[in-house]
Amino acid sequence: MSPASDADVIGRSLVDPQAFGAIFDRHAEAMLRYTARRAGREVAEGLIGELFRIAFERRKSYDSSYPSARPWLYGIAANLLQRHRRAEARRLRATARLAAERPARDKRRATSAADAQLLLPALVEAIEALPQGEREALLLYAWEELPYEAIASALNVPVGTVRSRLNRARARLRELDPSDRRTSSRSSQPGSARRRP
Amino acid sequence: MKPLDRVRTLRRDADLEREEVERILARERARFMTTIEAAARRELGARHVAQRIIPQLPYHDVPAARDFLERVFGFTERHGARVVDTKTGELVHTAVELHGAEVMLGGHGGHGASSPKSGGVISQVLTVYVDDVDAHHARARAEGARVVEGLADKFFGDRTYEVLDLEGHRWRFHQRMRDVPPEELRWSSEDDG
Repeated sequence: MSPASDADVIGRSLVDPQAFGAIFDRHAEAMLRYTARRAGREVAEGLIGELFRIAFERRKSYDSSYPSARPWLYGIAANLLQRHRRAEARRLRATARLAAERPARDKRRATSAADAQLLLPALVEAIEALPQGEREALLLYAWEELPYEAIASALNVPVGTVRSRLNRARARLRELDPSDRRTSSRSSQPGSARRRP
Repeated sequence: MKPLDRVRTLRRDADLEREEVERILARERARFMTTIEAAARRELGARHVAQRIIPQLPYHDVPAARDFLERVFGFTERHGARVVDTKTGELVHTAVELHGAEVMLGGHGGHGASSPKSGGVISQVLTVYVDDVDAHHARARAEGARVVEGLADKFFGDRTYEVLDLEGHRWRFHQRMRDVPPEELRWSSEDDG
């Protein structure tokens, strides 16, 4: 017997609310890790309960044609994270500091990491400066490894929008790389990413 | 390095430690289960009754009362509300509803409550809001109900009439006609209303 899909579990939770505990058990770790990557442990700790409470309260409107609830939960998480822009910026900078220390600990990567290390502050600044929708799409893709369709359903936008957001985010980040500047059609002034709409 | 690969390299440094994840999840799971257990109790209660205060009227003849309230006042018996005496087969309790609002009908003497038919006293008035009080009044009169106060527009913004049911319980049917600001809601014992 195959295990019940999230859609089945949520359907059952309409008459047996405690069944929704399985949704927490299946996805809470991914949601905690995601929110912590984005906004740090403290924010994530406070957010995780709220995220599942909101999901529980909205379970009646869950679209049962999606067997997995994960994109739906990512969508709720993304909404909650919008209130934590400053924590998110702090987390990114802290992450960049950790990443910069890593080559010293990890000798195999030392050579290739040298130039990356120089780019780190600019990289996190650029991620931070991305428009909200592009940052969401970028991090769901690069960190959470969600396919385009799942990102689209999480952010409640068409797949084409996800594709164009990722393309724009890629282009903005590419400008940071000196070796790629020649091929970039955009301005290469330092800090230009921040001023873009 | 491609731009997205650079972003990916940050992922590891952004991650929480396993022990932290386990500690937080254990605590949050316990909290979440408490939350949904409380919600489950609330939902069970809400599924059972939509209305938290329900009047119960005592009648000597519960089935006759139900029939009267259906025929004359336009109530319908609520599904699943019937309680039948297992020895006599008599209907001893039921409930009727109008626009989703419910009234229970019980036996005379049950819970210490008396029907006005033998008690001789009316100790309460039931107020029921309907959408068309003139039509309601016409129907009650046509069915021969005892109207004890005719249709009138009242100072508080409602149009009402009062009527007795088959055992003498007093009902007042209202229709909202206009909103009245609280400061205009003044009444003296000489007023009609």
